[in-house]
Amino acid sequence: MNNRNTIINLDNVSTVYEGERRAALRDVSLSIIENELVYVVGPNASGKTTLLETINGLLKPFMGSILVSGLNMKNHGRRLRAEIGYVPQDFMVDPGEPYLSIDVVMMGRYGKIGVLNKPDERDREKALDSMRLLEIDELSQRPMGKLSGGQQQKVMIARALAKEPKILLMDEPFSNLDPESKRRIPELISRLHEKNRFTTIVVTHETNRLMEACRRVVVMDNGRVTADEAPEKALRALEAGT
Amino acid sequence: MIWLGFDIMGKAFASCILIGVLTGLMGVFVVRMRLSAIGYSMSHGAFAGAALGVATSNNPLVCAILFAFFVAFLIGPVADKARLHADTITSIIFPLNMALAFIFLTLTPEIGLTSQVANVLWGSIISITNSDLVYMITLCAVTVSIIYFVWKELFSIMYNRKLAEADGINTKLFVYLIILLSGIVTTLSLKLVGGLLIYALLFNPASTALQFLEDMRKVIIVSPLIGVTTNLLGLYASLHLNLPVGSCIVLVSTSVFALSVLISPKRKRRVEGE
Repeated sequence: MNNRNTIINLDNVSTVYEGERRAALRDVSLSIIENELVYVVGPNASGKTTLLETINGLLKPFMGSILVSGLNMKNHGRRLRAEIGYVPQDFMVDPGEPYLSIDVVMMGRYGKIGVLNKPDERDREKALDSMRLLEIDELSQRPMGKLSGGQQQKVMIARALAKEPKILLMDEPFSNLDPESKRRIPELISRLHEKNRFTTIVVTHETNRLMEACRRVVVMDNGRVTADEAPEKALRALEAGT
Repeated sequence: MIWLGFDIMGKAFASCILIGVLTGLMGVFVVRMRLSAIGYSMSHGAFAGAALGVATSNNPLVCAILFAFFVAFLIGPVADKARLHADTITSIIFPLNMALAFIFLTLTPEIGLTSQVANVLWGSIISITNSDLVYMITLCAVTVSIIYFVWKELFSIMYNRKLAEADGINTKLFVYLIILLSGIVTTLSLKLVGGLLIYALLFNPASTALQFLEDMRKVIIVSPLIGVTTNLLGLYASLHLNLPVGSCIVLVSTSVFALSVLISPKRKRRVEGE
């Protein structure tokens, strides 16, 4: 692997959730190359979500270091997060939430815009563009709480894309989608990844389309990376429970 | 002495408007950021500070503000550093404030529950001075300016603090700012309704607005309007029924909130959808 192209580098990273004794990530070392599309799979509670939250600095590791774009996440977290699009696993909102979906998508750009600066027409256009990509632009003026689970999930993906990120981290982004969207959205992500050349890490349970989705799959179990392979080998490792 | 009557009424009227705006605005953040317990602790912290001021013959307002700052500091950075949950720290600080307030009052038995102390406990609109009004106007200008300039950050944190942090926003800084501003607003509002009722002014207008509106930008405008209206209605009821102003304001404000829950279209839709 060429060091110049490494955009994310985890070196012996261990993370523990506050109030817990057992580490959720254990000695994880992982390098992701610029523009790479990587899927992360593994059983429940294997550390997949923790891995994403550690990469974007929401969780602080108690051991090891994380470099993103050559900068240490510990010291440059906010600056780096402004360039990382993040689709969380838990996003469902209360039906009474007083937020329009366009506002939620626009929020993705707020860190990038900077404190004291106001979002302008260009930011609004970017937000609408990403909603159009996901075919939810007609929902832009609807309150977030009135959308279905699948629509809310698309809003969260649009929010991450509106940021024009260098890195896109997606945690189970297809779980609430209808069957048709489950087929189309991963294709869209792959297409956008090709077009915009951002580095993408997708955590998923759904392994049936891995072969066509990417060239690299990281398998996690019990907080550790147990395989880091091409999809066919990774799937075999996953089935073997290694 | 008619002019004095007008003067007192003018001040009462102005303070109802200014405090309605301030608590209506801050209430939106306190409710949406789930800082209710913090608001509760701050108001009692301000009460303890005012009691200290009365006991030591210092300006109760200045002491109340300093105490509120101290409580804000404990609830914000200190609790974060010590990794204490907001519920834990506020549950400890609330009785501590009350214990301190009663100790300050007991240490000076000649003062006891004199009118000065009672003013802080229950509020006294006739004791509002011109300086109080100047402080309120200044705080209104400062609060509105802060909200205007950092609205997008506050807007995002109110939606979801974790996501705002993931977008690169310094959420701690803005939450501390809201805690601090809430403390000052609470302190300056003590003379209107007193330390024991102030949180109703913080929570009721914002909670009422949230029963109807689906756009946070409208909530931040309507909540202060509700605050002003209920304060003025409370003042009017107090004058006509010869009852304490603070209690009347809280009764009106609570009734309006209860009514809003009954007729809330958002709530109806939710019930129908179930």
